[in-house]
Amino acid sequence: MKESVTAFLEGQIVEEDVEFTLVELCRASGASEEQLTLWIAEGAVEPRGSTPREWRFSGAALKRVRTARRLAQDLEINAPGIALALDLLDEINVLRARSRRSPGR
Amino acid sequence: MKYRDYYEVLGLPRAATPEEVRRAYRKLARKYHPDVSQQADGEDRFKELGEAYQVLKDTEKRAAYDRLGRQWQNGQDFQPPPDWDEGFEFSGAGNQPSANADFSEFFEAMFGGAHTGGRSRQTERHGAAPDRGAATADDLEDAYRGTQRPIPGQDHHARVVIDLVDAYHGAQRSISLQMPVLDAHGHVILQPRTLNVTIPKGVRGGQHLRLAGQGGAGLAHGPAGDLYLEIAFREQPRFRVDGRDVSLDVPMAPWEAALGAQVTVPTPDGSVELTVPAGSVSGRRLRLKGKGIPGKTPGDLYVILTIVLPPADSDSARAAYGAMRQAFHFDPRAHFTGGRP
Repeated sequence: MKESVTAFLEGQIVEEDVEFTLVELCRASGASEEQLTLWIAEGAVEPRGSTPREWRFSGAALKRVRTARRLAQDLEINAPGIALALDLLDEINVLRARSRRSPGR
Repeated sequence: MKYRDYYEVLGLPRAATPEEVRRAYRKLARKYHPDVSQQADGEDRFKELGEAYQVLKDTEKRAAYDRLGRQWQNGQDFQPPPDWDEGFEFSGAGNQPSANADFSEFFEAMFGGAHTGGRSRQTERHGAAPDRGAATADDLEDAYRGTQRPIPGQDHHARVVIDLVDAYHGAQRSISLQMPVLDAHGHVILQPRTLNVTIPKGVRGGQHLRLAGQGGAGLAHGPAGDLYLEIAFREQPRFRVDGRDVSLDVPMAPWEAALGAQVTVPTPDGSVELTVPAGSVSGRRLRLKGKGIPGKTPGDLYVILTIVLPPADSDSARAAYGAMRQAFHFDPRAHFTGGRP
C-alpha cells in the first residue's frame, strides 16, 4: 500500500468541546449582538453568567442561534416569535424522534 | 438557460396585486423554510420562492419580467432578447447580500450581479457561506481601498454528509467546498476547495465540527475565520438514529419468536449473534448495551422484533396453518366478545 502523506485536519465537536462568548457566538452564527441579546431576554437562548461580558454559551447554542437567525431573516420574525418557534421546533423534534422509535411506523 | 415562471412558482395569476404577491410568498416561505419543513425538496423550493419573490415584489423588475411576455413555459429554453431591459434601472437595486443565494442562471442573467459589484452573489445555504457578523462586504471593500485595520476573516459554514459507520470508527474524508473569496476587482466569487478532514469517532448527526482558521482569510493581518462543518448522516433504510442510540427492525418467523432463536443481526459495526428469548412478542425491544454510537457514554443498539407470517401458498403450508388452528383453539379477539374486557 502506498504511504499517504496527506494531512487531515482535526476539528473540535462544537456541541461537546466548545464554549462561546457573546462575540464568538455572533461571529460563528452571523447574528448581531443586538439580535442575540433580544433572544436571550426572551429566554430563547440561555447563557451562563449574568452580564453580557460574562455570558458563556454552550456549543449547542450555535445550532439554535443559526436557526433563529435564518428564521428572523427569511420570515421577519421578532424576538418573541423566535422564542416560540424554537420551542415548537424542539417539541416537534422530540415527537418525531418518538414516532421514529415506535415500531411498525 | 431555462425560463423561470415566477408566477407559477408562487401560484399566482399574472394580475396579482403586490399584496397578493407578498401574502403568497410568506405563506409558502413558512411552509418550505428549511428549518421548519420536513419535505425533502424544501430547501430547493424555498430558494425558488425567494428568487420569484425577489423579482415580483420589485415593481421595476416585475415590469421588466412581464415584458418578456407570457408565451414562455417554466423550464423552456430561453435567451433574453437584446435590449430587453432598456428603460429599466433596477440593476442590483434592492438586492440584499446573501439573500439571493444560488439563484438560477435565468435570474443571474436577467437581474444578477453584473452591475452590482458582485455584492449579491454571496451564498448562504450551499457550500461554505459567508455569514454577516464578522467582516462584511463593506469591511472588505474598505480594506481594498487601503483602510488598514486588521479584520478577522469570516466564519464559514458547510454541511458534510457521512455514513453512520464513520461515527463508529472515525474516518478521514476529502470534502469539496465552495469558498467565497474576493477576486481582483473586489467581487465575491465561489472558489472550489478540497479539504481533508478527520471525522472524529462518536460524532452525531446535527453536530458541528469546528476547524480553526479554515474560514475566510483575514485582512491586514487579521486572523482567519473558522470553518464549521455541520454533520449529517447519509439516509439509509436499515438503521434509525436517535441521539447516540441506534435501532433496527429484525423480522422473525412466528416459531422463532415463540420458541426462541439465535439470529445474526447486522449492526453498523459488523454482525452480532443475538439470542431471542422464547415467548417474544412482535414489537419487543432488545437492547444491546453500548452498541450504539461510541462516546464517553456510548449509545445502545435497539433490536425491534417484527413477526412476519410465511405465506400460505402451498398445500403443505396450508396444512401447517390448519394444524396450528387445531392445536391452539386460539381466539385473538376473545376480549371483543368474551365476558371479561
